[in-house]
Amino acid sequence: MLRRAFRRLASSLVVLWGVVTLAFVINFALPGDPARIVAGPQARPADVARIRQKLGLDRPLLEQYGRYLQRLIHPGPRSPDRRDEVHGSCGALGPLHVDLGVSYQQHRPVLELLLSRLPASLLLAAAAMLVQLAVGLVTGTAAAVRRGTLADKGVVALTLLGVSAPTFLLGLGLQYLFAYRLRWLPFDGYGQSSGERLLSVVLPALTLGLFGAAYYTRLVRDEVLGQLGQDYARTALAKGASRLRVLVVHVLRNTLLPLVTVVGLDFGTLLGGAIVTEKLFRWPGLGQLSVDAVVERDGPVILGTVLVASTAVLAANLLVDLSYALLDPRSRGRGG
Amino acid sequence: MRRSLLAALVLLGGCDAALPGPIGRAGDPAAPPRRGGWLRLASYTNVRTLDPAVAFDEIANAIEHFLFAKLLDFSPDGEGFVPDLAERWHVSDDGLRITFHLRRGARFHDGDEVQARDIKRSLERALHPDTPCPISSFYERIAGYQDYVQRKASDIAGLKVEGDYTLVVELSEPDATMLSVLALPTAAPVCRSAGARYDRDFSARPCGAGPFRFQSWEPGRHVRVERFDAYHEPGRPYLDGIEYALGVPTFTQRFKFEGGQLDYMREFGEADLARYLASPAWRGLGSWDLGRAVHALFLNNEIPPFDQRQVRQAVAAAIRRDQIAAVRPGSVRPASRILPPAIPGHNTAPGQRYDLDRALALMREAGYPYDPATGKGGYPHEIPYVAVNDSFDVEAAQILQQHLARIGLRIRIRAQGWPAYLAETSRRRTVAIGSDGWAADFPDPSNFFEPLFASRAISEEESQNRAFYRNPTLDALLVSARKETDPARRLDLYRKAEDMVLDDAPWAVLYTKRWFELWHPYVRNYRPNPARSEALSFAWIDPDARAAARAQRWAPPLSRGRIARWVSGGR
Repeated sequence: MLRRAFRRLASSLVVLWGVVTLAFVINFALPGDPARIVAGPQARPADVARIRQKLGLDRPLLEQYGRYLQRLIHPGPRSPDRRDEVHGSCGALGPLHVDLGVSYQQHRPVLELLLSRLPASLLLAAAAMLVQLAVGLVTGTAAAVRRGTLADKGVVALTLLGVSAPTFLLGLGLQYLFAYRLRWLPFDGYGQSSGERLLSVVLPALTLGLFGAAYYTRLVRDEVLGQLGQDYARTALAKGASRLRVLVVHVLRNTLLPLVTVVGLDFGTLLGGAIVTEKLFRWPGLGQLSVDAVVERDGPVILGTVLVASTAVLAANLLVDLSYALLDPRSRGRGG
Repeated sequence: MRRSLLAALVLLGGCDAALPGPIGRAGDPAAPPRRGGWLRLASYTNVRTLDPAVAFDEIANAIEHFLFAKLLDFSPDGEGFVPDLAERWHVSDDGLRITFHLRRGARFHDGDEVQARDIKRSLERALHPDTPCPISSFYERIAGYQDYVQRKASDIAGLKVEGDYTLVVELSEPDATMLSVLALPTAAPVCRSAGARYDRDFSARPCGAGPFRFQSWEPGRHVRVERFDAYHEPGRPYLDGIEYALGVPTFTQRFKFEGGQLDYMREFGEADLARYLASPAWRGLGSWDLGRAVHALFLNNEIPPFDQRQVRQAVAAAIRRDQIAAVRPGSVRPASRILPPAIPGHNTAPGQRYDLDRALALMREAGYPYDPATGKGGYPHEIPYVAVNDSFDVEAAQILQQHLARIGLRIRIRAQGWPAYLAETSRRRTVAIGSDGWAADFPDPSNFFEPLFASRAISEEESQNRAFYRNPTLDALLVSARKETDPARRLDLYRKAEDMVLDDAPWAVLYTKRWFELWHPYVRNYRPNPARSEALSFAWIDPDARAAARAQRWAPPLSRGRIARWVSGGR
């Protein structure tokens, strides 16, 4: 299992390098001049040229790429307290430094920007995942058990509605009801204290989670139905096991395998891709940061968010792979 | 289950509730100002930096006016200047020397006195070649600027400190815009702790000599500033502080404004704005700004058919500007001249006029006769029209498409993202026609004519003059106007320049855009400033009116109790 983990880790690093290189090239090829965006639409050519030079954008692509990779991971200074022009935007990783550069627009180190946004993104992703898992598991299982009834048809119809309705519509509705009308929850924002944060995360988590739950409900329903028709389930029932026991101990455990795969992929997406929800609820997460960066042609932030999002997806996949070994004893013997 | 569904339907049915009225009533306008209270406002955009040396977007500028005092400020009528840190100033007869006499006792937020050397240090900090200042070249006529930005000199020779309270600005040639650019936050003195060179960490703890001092900034969430008690105008400001929420969508701003969580609002969705303007409860409240921006379409003088003056004039005469403005009544006003209403020199006389017969005659003269009855003739090729996507430009372009078709010009609209639009339209011989516009960096006519129509604003890439229009007579006129020290004569020169440009038609002027500002009646002493938005530094809040407002705060029609009653079947 350890060997398998190392192999996956090594291939993940290659994938990361590929993603960064691709993002770098795409970012360079995009029409528009980042220096012009930094200077503003009305800036004079002399000011744009000076800013371009200051940002190093007047250098050839290969030189910019080489410099980016060179700075991405490099040895730290001898004195750990030294924070000069060279190491001013670094984060320490043992004896090595990680440097994602400085945002063109916000004039702050990208690493600092990403780290400041990561807790909010993690909180929202975890809360949304909780909502979609809880709702998906309960409604999906209930619909499967009551297959063909009005409740089952209702759930199927609602999930269709949930999958097709855009998140902003649901978010606006929740905001209107719970913040504007009832005043139970804050409109938006992140809150100052832990208590405020928990209250603040409810509406965005419900918006994201209910949207995702529709898909999870369908997935769980189909999986449970499939498992209930398997020989092992029928055998357990024939041997006198209660319906509840068969459902919880045998069927749901086998349903977890495909669910874990989806959860792993979804978590990475939720971490950096909750763009509309973050915008609507002014949630200071990575999604909003990445969209602003693309609009403003803020290259270092675009590359930084791509790196974080790819790392999150790869890490989630790695964990999913490893969790297979725990959930499915048959996969332990396979080399992967 | 059925009851829950019923409750949900009722809740959805409540979405079309009538627009709530203002909170509180207008008090006695002569009432003396009272201290206290936090003023809350919001914007959908975010602040990227609070360092005046590098920030030049509208929201950062509004906040910088709270934090940083300047030598002088634009007068509320937009026609001149009022003292700020400089109690008086004098421009020499030859226009080459401006002497500022600073007031004594003005303090930075950290307690140090503001002295002439601080003004010099701060300007040199902003204009240093290592500082990514977006408007550095505005100051290029200060003597010694070029040597300084080319690292040939360690300071700007034209900034002379004569004692603690006298600063002399020497110019390499007369520049009537110098007072305007010295009134921008870029030239504001920053605390000595900021040092002599730009440091990006300063933005996290900005320190100046403005009426408010920095309290906190959480990017993407809010900026808070609190009253600076040692501000150089005794007794001011009146507010305890100002909270500026960031990244708030316009519809959320409306909800918050109605609920009393915002005291002032400026960013309305079109539908919301129409509701407020139509609401009897809000009649007489709020104010339109004069409009500091003008929108037009540019006609590239180097690309056929717009290299012909008659075709350009025909385009300008074929446009029904009133039809474009009718799409957004209120915020969009038809315009036929270059200078918008808030800019000195604005002329109310009609400029480019709709005259379809003249437009058709001009097309005939240009060699492209067109018969509207048969649809035959006109320019034989389709012309791509570049506009910025997700903007009103695209809607305007759809109307223009029909107007231009009536004179035999067929355009195909190509909507592009902002970066691509800027790159393409500013590249030589690339785009024949497209949307254009300009918002005043400072209220002066030169800020429109020099970047948009002077020959020296043409370059192979990054051209500000997107029409690539050259007129040596105009160039000479603009140089004379820049050097003219008599304000009335200067404005006359710009009027001549405007008439010249309108006649040559490198631009077909379309419309001006203006903002509607609205505030609850308990916010007092707010006078909109034509030179900038949200000039709320000296507003005050009537605590009694606000308290009364809280008591009469609009009660939600669907309370928790009412919901519970619905769900429990009325028991």
